[in-house]
Amino acid sequence: MRPERTIAGAAGDAAWRVAPLVMLVALWQAASAAGLLNPAFAPSPRAIALALLDLLTGGEIGRNLLITLFRSFTGLALGAVAGIWLGLMMARSRVFNAYVAPIVGGTYSLPKSALIPLFALWFGIGSTTAICAVFLACLLPMVVNTAHGVTTTPRVLTWSAHALGTRERKMLTRIYLRHALPDIFTGLRIALGFSFVLAISSEMIASTSGIGKLVFMYGENGTYDYMFAAIVCIVIVAFLADRALLAIRRQALRWHESAAEGS
Amino acid sequence: MAKAPSLISLRLRSIASILLLIAIWEIAGRAKLAPPILLPPFSVVAAQLWQSAADASLFVDLAISLMRAFAGLALAGVIGILLGMSMAHSRAANWLVDPIVALAFPSPKIAFLPVFVLWFGIESTSKILLVAFACVFPVIIGTYSAARAVSRIYFWSAASLGTGERRMLWKITLPACLPRVFATLRIALPVALITTFTAEMVAGGGGMGATLVYSQRFFESPTVFAYILVMLGIGLVLDAAMTALQRRWLIWAE
Repeated sequence: MRPERTIAGAAGDAAWRVAPLVMLVALWQAASAAGLLNPAFAPSPRAIALALLDLLTGGEIGRNLLITLFRSFTGLALGAVAGIWLGLMMARSRVFNAYVAPIVGGTYSLPKSALIPLFALWFGIGSTTAICAVFLACLLPMVVNTAHGVTTTPRVLTWSAHALGTRERKMLTRIYLRHALPDIFTGLRIALGFSFVLAISSEMIASTSGIGKLVFMYGENGTYDYMFAAIVCIVIVAFLADRALLAIRRQALRWHESAAEGS
Repeated sequence: MAKAPSLISLRLRSIASILLLIAIWEIAGRAKLAPPILLPPFSVVAAQLWQSAADASLFVDLAISLMRAFAGLALAGVIGILLGMSMAHSRAANWLVDPIVALAFPSPKIAFLPVFVLWFGIESTSKILLVAFACVFPVIIGTYSAARAVSRIYFWSAASLGTGERRMLWKITLPACLPRVFATLRIALPVALITTFTAEMVAGGGGMGATLVYSQRFFESPTVFAYILVMLGIGLVLDAAMTALQRRWLIWAE
């Protein structure tokens, strides 16, 4: 068990952790100011910060970021629901598993971005293509992790539930899915990462909007300070989304033994 | 409860499932359920695949893409193992690198593609470095946690037999970590492939991804499908190869 920590102590810890990042940025700024870096290729942190401020007040980044988040979260939600259902079915029925496993196994190792041109062919340029790509990329880690969590359910749990008169239908949600929850969260975390990668990739390849397109466009136009500012936004949003998921996981798995490890 | 189906009947169902999928594809294509430009029949795709293989254009693209993916992965492996081991051994290195890894690990690395193109051009260098950038963080994390988990008993025994600090790193930490590092590299391999293909699709410069997106723009659908099938096959073959290697060479890991 960790000792109780004061707020000041926690703030000190956070500052200690952020210090190397601050140092890195300061070093970069110093190198730019000393003229060691060509501003045409590597804009100074100051220029990037000004561009970021301009983007944030102008609303351009907010609009495109919302579009990207809409695409990635829609794809993620659809992929999670379908993936949990498929994983549950595959773990509970060997016949269903035999039919579906080769298709899942085959698409598991397919680089999902390869499908973006195909979806662009089918659905044209825009949100549908991006959402489909995100959906497929998120589906597979959800299937694999859910199936793993359900198949490893201890017999003792199922026997006890049966002995207490739990109906077969209730077994799914009350025993199997409950037991698989830590694995489902593992899958969700992988899928969350994929959802951003695929949304941004498909925006770069086949879209006229979204933050991926914005970054690409600034790169083409040669406005590199704005390009870096948009990338900084992506990194921060992805980091915060990952942290938020971890916080939800901690809340949802308070009863699980992994919560006691304090990770 | 119903009788458990035999292994053979389950295998047959698996094969039937794939054949059924191909049959539906072929029939749907032939019956013109969708315009051929959206769904060319399987036989047409297979013919296109044969033709691309016959004029060697497929193999040229494949060689370029695989070279980029593996060069990037190798670079990520070397840098990631070095950084991960130094993080496990030195608190200063841990302090310096850990926040960067924590911030960079969840970020979608493909967003950095325009930066790499700006700095290293549209040819192979930018792609190899982007692949290395995408794969290095899981390798760092995997190596670090593997190095931290090495049993103290090995170090104590080696120290009592007079092994020096430096030899310890090579003779104990590295071999002890290797199985888990290899497992991490196996996870990083699909990341390397997806990053290579996506970078080629966005920035061009030859390779599977460039040809794929080029064919899509010119509505050469059979080529699109043929290349996707090849990418699927590559993913399967490489994963199987990594599994076989893992079994063969890393026997001492349980």
